[in-house]
Amino acid sequence: MVNLEDLSQAVVKGDVEAAFALTKAALEAGLPAGEILDRGLIPGLKEVGDLFEEGEYYLPELIVSGDAVAQALELLEPALRQGGEPHMGKYLIGTVQGDIHDLGKNIVIMMLKGNGWEVTDLGVDVSPEEFCAAVSEGDFQIVGLSSLLTMTMPNAARTIEALKKAGLREKVKVMVGGAPTTPEWAAQIGADAHAKDGPSAARVAAELVGKS
Amino acid sequence: MRKMSGLERVLTALKCKEPDRVPHFERVAKRVIEGILPGASYEDLVEYLDLDGIRFIDRTHSWSYEVVDEARRVKRDQWGGLVRYTTEDNPIPFEPAIRSEKDLDNYVLPDPDEEWRYEYLKQVVKRFKGERAIVVGVTDIFALGRENFLGDVGYFRAMVKNPDLIDRVNELLLSYQLRYIKNCIELGADVLWINGDWAMTEKPMVSRQFAQRFLTPPLQKLVEYAHSWGVPCIKHTDGNIWPIYDLILDTGVDGLHPIDPMAGMDIGEAKAKFGDRVCLCGNVSCAFSLVSGTEEEVRQETKEVIRKAGRGGGLICMSSNSIHSGVKPANYLAMVKAIREFGQYPLALD
Repeated sequence: MVNLEDLSQAVVKGDVEAAFALTKAALEAGLPAGEILDRGLIPGLKEVGDLFEEGEYYLPELIVSGDAVAQALELLEPALRQGGEPHMGKYLIGTVQGDIHDLGKNIVIMMLKGNGWEVTDLGVDVSPEEFCAAVSEGDFQIVGLSSLLTMTMPNAARTIEALKKAGLREKVKVMVGGAPTTPEWAAQIGADAHAKDGPSAARVAAELVGKS
Repeated sequence: MRKMSGLERVLTALKCKEPDRVPHFERVAKRVIEGILPGASYEDLVEYLDLDGIRFIDRTHSWSYEVVDEARRVKRDQWGGLVRYTTEDNPIPFEPAIRSEKDLDNYVLPDPDEEWRYEYLKQVVKRFKGERAIVVGVTDIFALGRENFLGDVGYFRAMVKNPDLIDRVNELLLSYQLRYIKNCIELGADVLWINGDWAMTEKPMVSRQFAQRFLTPPLQKLVEYAHSWGVPCIKHTDGNIWPIYDLILDTGVDGLHPIDPMAGMDIGEAKAKFGDRVCLCGNVSCAFSLVSGTEEEVRQETKEVIRKAGRGGGLICMSSNSIHSGVKPANYLAMVKAIREFGQYPLALD
């Protein structure tokens, strides 16, 4: 009998091997992938997020927890896809034009995936037009714009403007984040929400789609 | 008090003493230079504005790069990783040099003694030596290891899973940077600017325990070596460093930049807590006032920085990062003017 609490703890400890072995055993025991996610990975990631907020965990601990989640998801994703719609929804993310930092964005992706989001990553230095094209073609609930540089923050505003001009703004919720960004600035440029870091991004995204 | 040279001003402030006026120097983006003195070089601007120092970084002035993809502005840096140039002409690493321990086993360091690395320094020395502080950037061992060598993810992962790898990387990079420092000092560097972020807006990137284990020992070695030549060091790190500021100060650094206001670091609080131990370098906001404020707002913020942190000396008034291309040229001029207006010692601000 696989105890999913052990999987949660493997995530918290960043124990990649244990996360892989426990997920494999859970699937082999016939547990549905959604349940392994809900009762194993998500509580583990929540604890990681809490420890980060509380100042117990820092970036190294987030990275190794992310590694453990990635290992588990590798096994779970085929089964999750067979189930049809993604658990939480579809999330489009990219670092805004002019900025090529991706650590923050990648931590957000790890937290989102681990929380049941299907994430499409447009990468770094993404132009407003590229965001618009992806929104137009895809079926995303949320678009996340990451800006680590003060000087590229205006490009997040330009992306939102471009979505409006293309008639796509109402199709998606827009989240912004990154080191220099603030909730006030997010409101000012017409974003729906702001997340200050990876762990909070997963929480804010869930709130935006009413699944918190 | 007799009028000091820019060099004297900076060195006096770095000893936490009072110069004749609050010193000031900055790195200034081309676009801002163009807005102030069209057609001028950075060195011309330093002279035109009578800045107290001239600062440049090793990444842009002494590392070699080879073009990989011209259209995408991608180059391979001298460490072996890939960088991409931003609109500011800053090379930002995106693919690390070292992906495994095997890569490290076979790794050959670039040669710090190659003469071309010091051409710009020699020009600066020729033009400014003895008058203005020649402030030479030295990338921090943590930043170099994390950004260029192992990559953020590889570095942070190794901190938890393979600490010996970090030790090996630190030792290797230290051997290069110590040699680079020696060469720079012999050629005339007055101050070392040890750049590399240790913190995010909310908190340090790593715990105190990891900072003590991996970050501060190599920094201390750089600082002690520079001090053995009588050269002071300014440590730059963005972000909220309150939880680890004491560890940074214990390395013996002489200056701390920028006391990041975006991260909630108040320079008055810093002055009260450790202004007697280290020269504060900062912190007029280049995220807000210098970019989008009025000239009067910049003037008032500059005055406030001097009021909070200038008493008794130990302040180099600077922006909260650099004069990047988004800064309004008129606002930068307003800041320089305000430093001259309010920064004369003895201060009369209260």
